[in-house]
Amino acid sequence: MTWMKITGYADKFSVHPGDTIKFFVNCDGPAEYQAEIVKMIHADTNPRGPGFIEESIKAACDGTYKGMKQEIYSGSYGFVVDKPQFCVESVTLQCWIWPTTPKTHPKYWKHGAQGLVTKWHDGKGYGLFINEEGCVEFRVNDQVITTGAPLRDHAWHFVAASFDAKTGEAILYHEPQIVYALDPEIEPVTKKLATKLAYTPGTPTVIAGYCGALSDAPQAKASVPAGVLIKGHYNGKIDSPRISNRALSRLEIETMKLGAQPGLSERRNSGPTGKLSEAIVASWDFSDGINTLAGKDKGPYLFHATIVNCPTRAMTGYNWEGQVFDWKTAPEQYGAVHFHDDDIDDARWATSFEWTVPKGTSSKFYAAKLTSKDGGEDYIPFWVVPRVGEETAKIAYMVPTISYMAYANEHLANNAGGAELLVYRVPIMQQQNMFLSEHREYGGSIYDTHTDGSGLCLSSRLRPILSIRPKYDHFLAQAPWQYPADLHMIYWLEKKGYEYDIITDEDVTYDGLARLEKYNVIITGSHPEHNSGPQLDALHNYMQRGGRFMYMGADGWYWVHSYHPGYDGLGRGIVTEMRRCESGIRTWRADPGEYYHQGTGELGGMWRFRGRYLHTIAGTGMSSEGFDISTYYSRTPESNDERVAWAFEGITYDEKLGNFGLVGGGAAGTELDIVDTMLGSPPHTLVVATSAGRHTEGYLLVMEDYGFNQQGLDGTQHPRVRSDIAYHETPNGGASFAFSSIAFCGALPWNNGDNNISTLVGNVLNRFMKDGPLPTPSPAAIMHRGRADYDQPMNKARK
Amino acid sequence: MIPIPRKSSPDAKRMIDEHKDCIDSMKGVAGNSVLKCATPGDTTTVTGGIHEDFQLNRVLLRMRAQPAKGKLVVVCTEVEKKWRIARLSGIRGVPPEFVTDKVYDNEQDPQHDIFLMRLEEFAETDGFPEHFREGWKRRDDMWTVT
Repeated sequence: MTWMKITGYADKFSVHPGDTIKFFVNCDGPAEYQAEIVKMIHADTNPRGPGFIEESIKAACDGTYKGMKQEIYSGSYGFVVDKPQFCVESVTLQCWIWPTTPKTHPKYWKHGAQGLVTKWHDGKGYGLFINEEGCVEFRVNDQVITTGAPLRDHAWHFVAASFDAKTGEAILYHEPQIVYALDPEIEPVTKKLATKLAYTPGTPTVIAGYCGALSDAPQAKASVPAGVLIKGHYNGKIDSPRISNRALSRLEIETMKLGAQPGLSERRNSGPTGKLSEAIVASWDFSDGINTLAGKDKGPYLFHATIVNCPTRAMTGYNWEGQVFDWKTAPEQYGAVHFHDDDIDDARWATSFEWTVPKGTSSKFYAAKLTSKDGGEDYIPFWVVPRVGEETAKIAYMVPTISYMAYANEHLANNAGGAELLVYRVPIMQQQNMFLSEHREYGGSIYDTHTDGSGLCLSSRLRPILSIRPKYDHFLAQAPWQYPADLHMIYWLEKKGYEYDIITDEDVTYDGLARLEKYNVIITGSHPEHNSGPQLDALHNYMQRGGRFMYMGADGWYWVHSYHPGYDGLGRGIVTEMRRCESGIRTWRADPGEYYHQGTGELGGMWRFRGRYLHTIAGTGMSSEGFDISTYYSRTPESNDERVAWAFEGITYDEKLGNFGLVGGGAAGTELDIVDTMLGSPPHTLVVATSAGRHTEGYLLVMEDYGFNQQGLDGTQHPRVRSDIAYHETPNGGASFAFSSIAFCGALPWNNGDNNISTLVGNVLNRFMKDGPLPTPSPAAIMHRGRADYDQPMNKARK
Repeated sequence: MIPIPRKSSPDAKRMIDEHKDCIDSMKGVAGNSVLKCATPGDTTTVTGGIHEDFQLNRVLLRMRAQPAKGKLVVVCTEVEKKWRIARLSGIRGVPPEFVTDKVYDNEQDPQHDIFLMRLEEFAETDGFPEHFREGWKRRDDMWTVT
């Protein structure tokens, strides 16, 4: 079966009226396709809801376009274009490696030899490789020598090789840095080779791959350098690669480990010794420029490598001592780059068409709808966002684009057996998942592991992201998740006739408070889990000054994200980074010493462990998750407090709130937030409704909330496995309403938007969107409140 | 570890009936659990299934913990209309393959058929000391952890 003949992406997530957005389309098969800009209203195809709704807006770019296949050349590497100094007669190569997949399954998507340090193409040149059997291999033209000793995965090795053109002698060294009692000795291998080094013009020097093909095909322009197709992508770390222009002795190789060391002689030549300085062709030091896209060469020629497809940096090197954990403090211990054969930073496709958004275009969810006559279909979502100062509504909907990027092209149902334990039923895959299962070049999500099993901590938006699609049910919910789920709220806003603007995480991160302050109320997505620091600052500043906030979901404000500054030249928010550190719900766990972001140098992990508790943003924070089915809420006595009773006009006290919905069949489900004044919920927060006691065994308390594994943590037992709908006032007439469940918005479209969840949300929005500060609470509400100390009945007797 | 009863045993028959009742009651819900909706398609009140049949609960956990290689999944082949059963390869880049020709008209029924297939496929006592093999030292056992 062929899945998804058409795929595409745009150069922007958010585009201002008057600006141009470019679309990049892969049309693999059909001779032509139709493109149409549509306004997105509702993306959920569930027959119990209003169904899929889009509106054509008659854009100038609507039309038929010629189909063209476009390829993604994923896999990270460093390269230096062809230079005569690399075309040596004799050579020595050396580096440390920490391979993760020295040997792969014959059906593995990139099975074959892996390049380490190479200037080799089609039987010409030299290079250090790992061969199919997982052994180090030295190639001199078409001659090969190998140790025959398989590399231990996930361990450091020093590898080196030399070739002397005069004697024809080649020597290969493989020196494991971890040696166990029963490991065989690995002796250097020597062989006389009857060959003289020859080179194919145009062959770059490659680190973590080799020059596989030189191509004039139009698709090959998407490779870097254009037309040069890198193959043999290496999985693992490489530290301190060096190339010398003669066959060094083993002692000289040892000395050359020191690299170019300007300063060892008063003449400042670039070598560990004067003699060796004459031999250096390149001596790369990846610890310099960790937050850049370059691999610095400290040798005399300054052959800085261009690093392509954003491998993971700020990785512990062969010499990491376990005393320093922040790469900025001891960069010399962070000279390793972890390359992966599925890294992707930019698909670099040719522009297929573009659209200049007419001035006056309403700020909404849009998509380029792409269809072919044989049934092919894809949507490229984007958002029209007003310029700062040109806001058009009192309400802004903040699209959680960082969270969309974190989940981009997520593969869990296919990769992770544990996915079924998590969701408590057999996962259902859709065409997007099936396509991605064989198109690994589209890259994964920050929930996935790379194809080598290491954690994926960088995600680019310059590639087709098939999870940000309408008509897509996610295996986690067996219902929409993220983008299509957020359209539940959009449908409701449209249905009820509200005027609203769209803003994105990206806009708030770069524009700060200016992006928010003109709005009376900000509405969040259903799952704004991944956030940048500047974004959280902006939200706090907004609420401090009287802004109103409606947190329409759960598991928000959880992970530290930063946009990689190396991509700023391509636009806003191109690549986001996140590290899964010591706690939190983690599909993978960062290794020791690798908690700091390579882009900004900040400590990654949960905001909670940076001292920014989740609950401080909207009043509630993540308590539990489970994905089988959802349930409903009951009002609490606090809902009758006059500070908040207005929210329940038209809703009786005993009504079941949200025992219906398009996500799990109820408003309280999937991921749940609660009030916890010990974790940052303001002490005056009112819990107005809760789902306590109604969840299934599939729901479990989050691990960061307990220190000891013990029974009794599931939804049938633990009182913290619940969702709290909560309200609190902020200074200057501001307030926050937290609805605290990812499934919550799935109840809004129920019965065409006529239901008690809709009534509650409508009451809140109508009050929050009004101009001016909210009414001042009565003086009786002003009192001293502790955090752990609340007004227990026993304390009341004391008063 | 609780064994997986053979399909012909009275225990298995009880579990099969309970599982089917639960799955049937979930039709229409955008989600699924092996629990019985008091009103079909409505999760307001759910009972039975994994909450009340301890053996069914433990057997399902063992089945769900299977690693990706060879694991059965459901594939939606036409949105809201068609579903089929496939098997994961466990190899990056090798897509799942369909294992039966049966096309389902709802997303819940394949859940029950997969339960029946697994009752046939799973060893009764996998995970006991007599099944020890070297892979257990390298996390290659029948219980994945995320």
